[in-house]
Amino acid sequence: MTQHDDPSWFERPANIRWMIRGLVLVCVALVLADLFYENPHPHFGKLETFFGFQAWFGFVAFVVVVFLGRILRLLISKPEDYYERRR
Amino acid sequence: MNVVASIPPGLLMIVGGLLLIAVPRRFQSVGALVISVLSLISFWMLPEQDFGNFEMFGVSLNVVRIDKYSRIFGIVFHFAAILASIYALHVRDAKQHVAAMIYAGAAIGAACAGDLVTLFVYWELTAISSVVLVWATGTETSYRAGMRYLVIQVASGVLLLSGAIFQFVQTGSVMFGNFVVPGESLSPAGTLVLLAFGIKCAFPLLHNWLQDSYPKATPTGTVFLSAFTTKLAVYSLIRGFAGYDPLITVGCVMTLFPIVFAVIENDLRRVLAYSLNNQLGFMVVGIGIGSELALNGTVAHAFCHIVYKSLLFMSMGAVLFRVGTTKATELGGLHKSMPWTTLFCVIGAASISGFPLLSGFISKSMIISAAAEEHQLWVWIVLLIASAGVMEHSGIKIPFFAFFAHDSGIRVKEAPLNMLVAMGLASIMCIGLGVAYPLLYRMLPFDVDYHPYTVTHVVTQLQLLMFAALAFVFLMKTGLYPEEKRATVLDVDWVYRRALPQLVRGLRGTIDVVDGAVRRDTTVVLRSVYHTACRTFNENGILGRTWSSSTMTFWATVLLAICLVIYYL
Repeated sequence: MTQHDDPSWFERPANIRWMIRGLVLVCVALVLADLFYENPHPHFGKLETFFGFQAWFGFVAFVVVVFLGRILRLLISKPEDYYERRR
Repeated sequence: MNVVASIPPGLLMIVGGLLLIAVPRRFQSVGALVISVLSLISFWMLPEQDFGNFEMFGVSLNVVRIDKYSRIFGIVFHFAAILASIYALHVRDAKQHVAAMIYAGAAIGAACAGDLVTLFVYWELTAISSVVLVWATGTETSYRAGMRYLVIQVASGVLLLSGAIFQFVQTGSVMFGNFVVPGESLSPAGTLVLLAFGIKCAFPLLHNWLQDSYPKATPTGTVFLSAFTTKLAVYSLIRGFAGYDPLITVGCVMTLFPIVFAVIENDLRRVLAYSLNNQLGFMVVGIGIGSELALNGTVAHAFCHIVYKSLLFMSMGAVLFRVGTTKATELGGLHKSMPWTTLFCVIGAASISGFPLLSGFISKSMIISAAAEEHQLWVWIVLLIASAGVMEHSGIKIPFFAFFAHDSGIRVKEAPLNMLVAMGLASIMCIGLGVAYPLLYRMLPFDVDYHPYTVTHVVTQLQLLMFAALAFVFLMKTGLYPEEKRATVLDVDWVYRRALPQLVRGLRGTIDVVDGAVRRDTTVVLRSVYHTACRTFNENGILGRTWSSSTMTFWATVLLAICLVIYYL
């Protein structure tokens, strides 16, 4: 079953580079899009209409969640057979 | 038509499921599918009505109540049963098919129950039938997990029945209505029923049966499990506790903590179980808010959720079926050998994350907007964090580590055709719901005046998701993203799987020590008494040896003298 063949389209470094560039481009475009529309009825005033609010919020929230996960791992991660031992 | 209109919903599936035992093995899976479809047709034809009213032991019952809520939940339960039946067409295992049909039928019946006693009967029936799907894996681990699952589910039913009895004693009726009276705290009956619903809805601290059991069921069984039990609880909460404020807090906690667990969990089906918990949190928040928009959003979200969560569990089930594991550490690069499964999984992942044009977007945004409209700033913030979290575990982690990441070298066949068809249909539904959302909105309990595709919505949601994706790339590139590790992540189940047994063992040890010490000391004392007695009474002992007659006469006289003195005193 184990045999490595040619890398697929998704595995070629050049393509991965292009995908990341594409993502960055989309992100920049999405933030710039904030300049071209107005939120018709914001519920939380300045916060919601703050430039690119959900963009940086999404980024920070993601990073925070991952780091909380790392801390949690230190606390409650046990070897795989934890519950199977000492029956 | 009259006959059809008087069949209680779900009964067709329960009875049909039982009859499956008599069908030859080869046709059982097809039979299950046929039963599901027939049941959907008959349910579709039922008008909104109440029937099956009768009195028993002085309690009036209402077995079937079909209104807008029961209707939409009944319909989506049928869809789930049909999709899962197609997915399970290759399975040759009578007990799984029978159990799955009874389970689905009971869930549908429960969604149309008009009183608490009928609800209780179906409630327990879902518990008893669904555990078979966990046990069907046939391993020691799944047996034990199934046992824990069953105990907890039945406990939930017992609480529900106790609540019903309290309600009857208090009000003389067991009709299932809203327990919330504005400005008053919950009645004892309401509290018990809320607790019963809370267990099935996997409230924080009561949640762990879900992550414990679902990943241990069979690949096909988990698809059934993911659709019914928890959404039945959501439905019941809407009926009984809409607008109950504390639910907002409960829901917020539910959306947040599972995402952190999901980050470090290695078993991808367990990641999906955590993600299920997180999605339920959105719905519980919606129920707590209780406005028309929020309840519409909750119902819509439950509908969409059943479809995309089934889809995700189906894709991981296909991986489990072919590779034999869903551990992230052992997977990777599967997109080469399972391209269709990959595609369907990505559609499911994008749906749950809430990408525009897919189902999650049009339902989740309703709940978030409802929170905004009530000016609940913190709830809104929490839901945004949770949305970024969903993108992390379900949007990226599941498809990335299973199908891409580093090539594990595993080469397997693509999933069986019936699995692909089921996943394909679910994907089409995800896209269909995202695009033709008015079809869904029309079925919602209240009139909908909500437009998901405004520029603001689309742009802000895309900002959130794409920057979350960017954060993932950033963390991967800098090596900060925690690598996948084989591990058991502890959760609340640790309390009853480890701490309590340990405590009992400790207590038993202490009792043993004390008991041993007392026994030993008593034996020592008794033995010394025995030895003293032996020594005193033997032929040389002070009381055993032969005494001379004169000494005896002397002592007898002394005794008589003492008696005389005492007598005359």
